[in-house]
Amino acid sequence: MSPALPLLLGWVAAAALALADGRRRAVGWAALAALAATAALLCVLAGQVFADGPRQTVAGDWPAGVGIVLRADALGVLFAVLSAVVLLAGLAHELLSGHRGRLFPALVLFLGVGLTGLFLTGDVFNFYVFFELTMLASYVLAAYGGEGRELRAGFVFAVVNLLGSFLFLLGVAAVYHVTGTLEMEAVADRIARGETATAVLIAVFFLVAFGIKLGLFPFHFWLPPVYASARPGVAAMLSGAVANVGSYGLLRFGAGILPAELRLGATVLLVLGTASILYGALQAVSRRSASEVLAYSAIGQAGYVLVALGIGGPAGLAAAVVYSVANSLNKTLLFLAVDLRGWLVGPAFAVGAFSVAGIPPSAGFFGKLALFQAGVEEGSIALVALLFVGGALSFLYMFQIYQHDFWRPEQGKPPPAERGPSSPFALRAVALMVAALVVGLGLWPEPLLAAGREAAEALGALAR
Amino acid sequence: MTLILAVSVGVLFGSGAYLLLMPDLFRIAVGIVLVANAANVALMASGLGRGQSPIRPLEEGRVSDPLVQAMTITALVIGFAVTALLLCLAYRIYVSSRSVDLDELSHAEARHERELERDEVSV
Repeated sequence: MSPALPLLLGWVAAAALALADGRRRAVGWAALAALAATAALLCVLAGQVFADGPRQTVAGDWPAGVGIVLRADALGVLFAVLSAVVLLAGLAHELLSGHRGRLFPALVLFLGVGLTGLFLTGDVFNFYVFFELTMLASYVLAAYGGEGRELRAGFVFAVVNLLGSFLFLLGVAAVYHVTGTLEMEAVADRIARGETATAVLIAVFFLVAFGIKLGLFPFHFWLPPVYASARPGVAAMLSGAVANVGSYGLLRFGAGILPAELRLGATVLLVLGTASILYGALQAVSRRSASEVLAYSAIGQAGYVLVALGIGGPAGLAAAVVYSVANSLNKTLLFLAVDLRGWLVGPAFAVGAFSVAGIPPSAGFFGKLALFQAGVEEGSIALVALLFVGGALSFLYMFQIYQHDFWRPEQGKPPPAERGPSSPFALRAVALMVAALVVGLGLWPEPLLAAGREAAEALGALAR
Repeated sequence: MTLILAVSVGVLFGSGAYLLLMPDLFRIAVGIVLVANAANVALMASGLGRGQSPIRPLEEGRVSDPLVQAMTITALVIGFAVTALLLCLAYRIYVSSRSVDLDELSHAEARHERELERDEVSV
C-alpha cells in the first residue's frame, strides 16, 4: 500500500469537515470515524512495512530525486500508528464529554494529517511543511475556547514554538546549501562524506528546534501552563502525540541523518537529558495540582529519551523508541483519567502512575528496562544511578497525587476524586481502553520491543 | 551577493529577536514575522542564484535554481498563516484582558493564581 493513502484520506476528511459545523453530533462522530479509518490504514501499512521492509512513493510520478518522496519505514509507521491511537482516544474523550466547538473535529483531523505526513515523509522540506501544519493545529487546539489564562498560555506556546520552527527552517536551508538535495537518504549520505564543521551547526539548529518541541530542560518554560490549562483531551493529544514530533525529529535527524554529529554531541545530550529528568521530577514533586504534576513529569520523561539518544548505538536507539511509545501512552492515559470521577477511574489512573514509575506489568516498565540495559551496556554507573533516582522520584510524585486525589479524605469530606457526580461510563471506558493497552503492552511486550529494534535498524539504514 | 544575503539574514533575525524580547504582544508578533523572513531569505540564499529565471519557455544558457524559490513561496504562505493566527490570538487576549502588555498580563495571572490558592486553603 502506498504511504500516500492514509494521508489522502485524512486530508480530504479534514478539509470537508472544516466546512461543516463541528457543534453537531454527527460531524464529531464523522471525524472520529475518519480518524479511525486513517488509523486502520496506518495499521495495515505498518503490517506491510514490518513484514517486507520500507514502502516508498514519489509524489506525482516524478523520477526519484526530483519529486517529493513519501517513505514509510519502521520508525515512521510506528510513530504514525501511535499518534493516530492517541488522537483517537483524545477526540473520543472530548466528544463523549460533550465538548462542542465549531472547528474542533476538523482541527483534530488536520493535526492527524500533519503528524501522519511528517512521520511518513522522506523529504526534509516536506517534513517542515507537515511540521507547521501540526503545530498550527495544536496552537489553535491549545487555546481553543479559552479565556484569559488559556489564551496567554497559547500565545506563549505559539511564539516559542514558532521560533523553534523557523530555526528548523534555517537548518533546512543550511542542509540544502551544503548538500544540494532535500531527500533524507541522499542528505545523510552526502553529509557523511562532507566536512563536519557545518554539519555541527546544522545539528545544533535541529537540536534546539526539536528540544523546544519536546520541552527539554532549557527550552521547557512554555510547557507547564499549556498542558495545565488545556482541556484534558487536548492535553492528552499534545503530550501524547505532538510531543512525539520532538522525539521522532531527534531520532530521524540526529541518529538518522547526522549520526557522526550525534556521537560528537553525546555528552551534551546526556547533560541536557539529566538536567531535564532531575528538574522535571523535582518540580513535579513540589506541585499539588494533578495536571501541573503531569506537565512537569512530561519534561522529566522527555529527558529519558534524550539520555537514550546520548547513549546511542542500536540498544540506545531502540530504548529511545520504546520509551517514547510507552511515555506517550502513559501521558495520554493520565491526562484523560485526571479529571474523571467514579468507579474504575482510580485503577486506570494507578495503571498510568505505575507505568510512569516503571513498575511491571506496564509498558513503562519495558521502556525503563530498555534504558537500563542500554545504560549497563554503556558501563556507566552514574547513568544507571540517574535512571534509578529518576524512577524513584517519578514514583514519589505520581503517588503523591494519587494519594491526594483518590485516598485522603479532607475534614470529613471524601477525597477530591470522589466529589461530584461520576463521569459517564463511555468516558471512563476510553481511559480504561488506554489503560488496557498500557497493561497489555506490559504483559506481552515482544511486539513493542521488536518494533523498537526494527525502528533502530531503519535509522541505521538511513545513515549508511 | 552571498555576503549581502548573509548580512540581511543577520539583521532580520537580530531585529526579530530584539522585538521578541519586548513586553508587548504585537511587537512579539512582528518579531516572529521578522524571524520568519530571515529564514525565508536564508532559504533563497541556500540555492544557486545565478542564471536566468526558471520560467518556461527557457532560453539558451544556465537557469537559476527553481527549487529554492518553490520552497520559499511555500514558507511564505506558511508564514502568512502563522502571522494571521498570532494576530488573532493577540487580539483575543486584548479583548479578554484589555491589555497587550506582558507585564500587566503576568500580574493579572499572579493575582489569579493567588485567588486559586486562597480557594484551595479555604476548602
